Amino acid sequence: MPAVQNTRPFAVWLVLSTTPLVCVRPASAQTAPAAQSPSPAAQPPSPNAQPPSVQKRVDAVYPTGAQGTATVVLRITVGVDGSVTLPEVVESGGPAFDSAAIAAVQAWTFHPALRDGVPVPAHVRISFHFEPPAVGAPQGAAEPAPPQTQAAEKPGPLKNGGEESIEVIGAARPHAARPPSRGTSDYEIETAQLAEVPRGNASDFLKLAPGILLTNEGGEGHAEQVFLRGFDAREGQDIEFTVDGVPINESGNFHGNGYSDTHFIIPELIESLRVLEGPFDPRQGNYAVAGSADYHLGLADRGLLAKVSDGSYGTRRVFLGYGPPGTTSNTFAAAQIYQTDGYGQNRDGHDASAIAQYEGRAGTNVFRVTAQGYSASFHTAGVLRDDDVASGRVGFYDTYDPRQGEDASRYSIAANLESRAGDIVFDNQVYAIYRPLRLRENFTGFLLDVQEPQQTPHGQRGDLIDLQVTETTAGARGWARWSTPWLDSRQQIEFGYFARHDIASGLQQRIEAATGAPYLTEANLDSQLDDIGLYGDANLRLLPWLAVRGGVRADLFTYNVQNLCAVQSVEHPSPSNPQSDVSCQTQENQGAHREANQSASTASTAAMPRASVIFGPWAGVSFSASVGKGVRSIDPVYVTQDRVTPFASVLAGEVGVTVEEQLSTNVKLLFSSTAFETHVDQDLIFDQTAGRNTLAGATNRLGSANALRIAGRNFDTSLNATFVHATFADTHLLIPYVPDVVLRGDGAVFKEFDWHLGGHALRATLASGVTLVGRRPLPFGVRSDRIFTIDTNFEIGWPVFRAGLAVTNLLNTEYRLGEYNFASDFHSQSEPTLVPVRHFSAGAPRELLFTLTTNFGGAS
Amino acid sequence: MKRLAILLVLALAGCGGTTGSALVSFTTQVGGPTDAVAPLAFDNSQGFHVSLTRARLRLGAVYLNSSVPTSGSADTSCVLPGIYVAEDFGPLTVDLLSPFLQPLPARGEGTESPATTAEVWLTGGDVNAPSDQTVILDVAGTATKGSASFPFQGTVTISDNRKIPITSAGLPGSNPICKRRIVTPISVNLTPTDGGTLTLRIDPRGIFRSVDFAQITPTQGSPTLQIPDTAVGAGGQLFDGLRSNSGVYQFSWSR
Repeated sequence: MPAVQNTRPFAVWLVLSTTPLVCVRPASAQTAPAAQSPSPAAQPPSPNAQPPSVQKRVDAVYPTGAQGTATVVLRITVGVDGSVTLPEVVESGGPAFDSAAIAAVQAWTFHPALRDGVPVPAHVRISFHFEPPAVGAPQGAAEPAPPQTQAAEKPGPLKNGGEESIEVIGAARPHAARPPSRGTSDYEIETAQLAEVPRGNASDFLKLAPGILLTNEGGEGHAEQVFLRGFDAREGQDIEFTVDGVPINESGNFHGNGYSDTHFIIPELIESLRVLEGPFDPRQGNYAVAGSADYHLGLADRGLLAKVSDGSYGTRRVFLGYGPPGTTSNTFAAAQIYQTDGYGQNRDGHDASAIAQYEGRAGTNVFRVTAQGYSASFHTAGVLRDDDVASGRVGFYDTYDPRQGEDASRYSIAANLESRAGDIVFDNQVYAIYRPLRLRENFTGFLLDVQEPQQTPHGQRGDLIDLQVTETTAGARGWARWSTPWLDSRQQIEFGYFARHDIASGLQQRIEAATGAPYLTEANLDSQLDDIGLYGDANLRLLPWLAVRGGVRADLFTYNVQNLCAVQSVEHPSPSNPQSDVSCQTQENQGAHREANQSASTASTAAMPRASVIFGPWAGVSFSASVGKGVRSIDPVYVTQDRVTPFASVLAGEVGVTVEEQLSTNVKLLFSSTAFETHVDQDLIFDQTAGRNTLAGATNRLGSANALRIAGRNFDTSLNATFVHATFADTHLLIPYVPDVVLRGDGAVFKEFDWHLGGHALRATLASGVTLVGRRPLPFGVRSDRIFTIDTNFEIGWPVFRAGLAVTNLLNTEYRLGEYNFASDFHSQSEPTLVPVRHFSAGAPRELLFTLTTNFGGAS
Repeated sequence: MKRLAILLVLALAGCGGTTGSALVSFTTQVGGPTDAVAPLAFDNSQGFHVSLTRARLRLGAVYLNSSVPTSGSADTSCVLPGIYVAEDFGPLTVDLLSPFLQPLPARGEGTESPATTAEVWLTGGDVNAPSDQTVILDVAGTATKGSASFPFQGTVTISDNRKIPITSAGLPGSNPICKRRIVTPISVNLTPTDGGTLTLRIDPRGIFRSVDFAQITPTQGSPTLQIPDTAVGAGGQLFDGLRSNSGVYQFSWSR
């Protein structure tokens, strides 16, 4: 989309392309609707003709100052190079809408029509359907347009000895039923050209939203640690992650309740991403403390898309994607295989992922079925002590413990049904997920294995954590949205539900360095967790320039936890009461028998009111104010029998302004700025000795997030800056590790040259992403280094064949991605090192990745 | 208004505030008492007048603790993660008969937090090593009591000779060898600061406080008594003096 996406802009449903996407029909089969302009004289197309197909589509922008709905039908000419020329208005929706539609379609590109294998010009007819934003802000308003199919007009005549008139059959845009925006901090990010910026995984796309920093001490395939608006969300614990509505957060994961590993998402499949910073939408559920992120998957290319990559440090990747011609981007199958030797010690990794989705229609219903499989195995370097690196005892990219690593898998299926009954739109989804994970991390070396009196004398055996979690999730979610005109506007009421059941089995042990065998079981939990939520949400447009959105959500969390290692110490050691060398053992405590396990079950309900006011008294400018409450369920390890589930709750509020400006015919600007404040009553802080988050006190955050996106025909750029002051509520000291300044810029420029292959012009794209993170506060009053990196990607070629070179960390900066202050002892000095010192995880050096891309079969 | 000001400051300066405390780096220097001289003459509690001509101690490490450690007492571990404020490592062999201070080879690290106790590690290497023949203390001199003279010399190692037998089958790890190598708790009242100096003075008079030289069995053919490197008798008394947490090790801090 040429313009920005700070908000869900532009209630434009592109009425285009479904089954079949493009077709050539005999004249006898066509019926021209009365509203459509008459078509030229009929003439059958060539039997060897192949119609043009869309290569790149761009949604139109709802015109500033316009009102109401409109449909614009354009007829364009697709040149032999696939470019769009001579747009004509066949059916006018009014001057403003006509201009918006023309502006959009001029950014489209096509695979040209072929006759006998030779590119020929072709006429294409495209309908744009405009729905007004709910209020002055450029928000996507609304309910989905009913699926529709236009009758094709008669084929056009052959012109100039070769031109054909070809009809595009239109239909409603799938996934039109996006929820209405919650204001300035509701970022609907169409990846568009910015997808060209090098992004190693799905989490990297989050950087398009303001205030997000990603770090990773866990290595190549480990879930990214996400910082958002002053929250150290760890691996997703404070952000509700979903992919097309299917949860990613893992309830009951030992490493962190809500752990979110997005590596199963193939980057090429990310069409858009909604990041809502703050708990302001009743649809947001558990873990939406800092906010939520929902990935929307799709494959824009039709036909077979293949990518082969080879790069530094033995990195290789193969991607195959297939979009059946004549289907929407929501029908696809894709897979990738990846491997790397890693840029330093112990950073090798392998993974493979496959995702397939089919979208079909049954009458007015739209259904989707998605299946996904992912498996990864990799090693990780972990952290290094700064003093060891400074003294040369270890290298910057070395590791202390080569046994660190991770094995992870994820398999899921999901089915979705969108339907309509009168004024009510329904959406229902069911899903099932299976997710095993084994994680091996050593933050502290040889520090924690202290000699206990009951234990056989021993030295430090090693602190390597071996964590095994297996989680099975089944759930459903859905909503019914009723809309009706009132007060000269369309008003909406929505009711929805969410239900999820998790069976989580977790085992955490410490591994002896000398033998590789476990010597201590720290935790062994079997948990059954439920989260059932209901919500109601109103989207009321009280005045043309004023909308009120909000409602309330209530969730019931239940826990049934079987702690298989509840007693880990011997109360009164004796020959008959066994040594505690053996973990979790049944004991005889002065004659009283005690089993090692303990059950605990509890439940509690959270009510979360949320509301936003959006008003836009002036064209192109809108203001918003939002307030909301969110919750994060607690780690099962903290559950106590009949004690109310101690979830953490957040209260957040913000005010914001959005400015949208059409700088010229093809250049659009969108700027947004917010000021926010949040209070969390029970936060989590990562504890390196425990290897996971542990409970901390109440915290406050005050800050500002700002985003600017400017896009034109040949460029697209996004800049964002976030400042935050995050403190503990009682001491007013800074929360460690949270960056108070995060700046991010993404930009892409693209140009076509008059060198053609297969009728397509040569196209070159140069894209870059720049990250600047201020010096983060670390424990003990010190600050980290700044992080400044530049990633860039250059791609050139034609639709059927492209070559690209991605360079990450272009300046080859030796930087510390994560920095921490804590005590560790890696036997690097003569005596145990027991006081806190600086540790870091090394950021990647400059890496090159050369990629060849081919696409064929898309227009068949 | 205050919040607006904070926002403005954040936007302009990029950061502000602190997480509290501070990391510090410091120098540690070790020597004998300020009045040390060779030979050092003093009287001990057993009625001996001692003239010490040699007293060298091998220091493994020093630690400062934020709380009174249970480390070294009967039922706890040698290392208690979480209580440590500062550390500095040797090895350094200290001449206890010289008042001149010798620096430890590396700078110390720590946090700017109050320390209430200290630990002196008398190690030759791994504090948990079951057997370690490193000489921790090397002494020589003459003790007199009345008309009797006891020229002596001796060395102290902390190895199997210091091991305490297991008395309870249920507590096999209650007295690991590492506890014999750690002198603690030594009372201190200081707060490390960045760039400061930790001074440790070790007074050999305290080490000999309870040594009964008359218990030393003469070695045939040698006029000099050899203090046995054992857990009993004069050897045990010398070792106990070495591990005394008062009157021997004196810590101070200077900026």
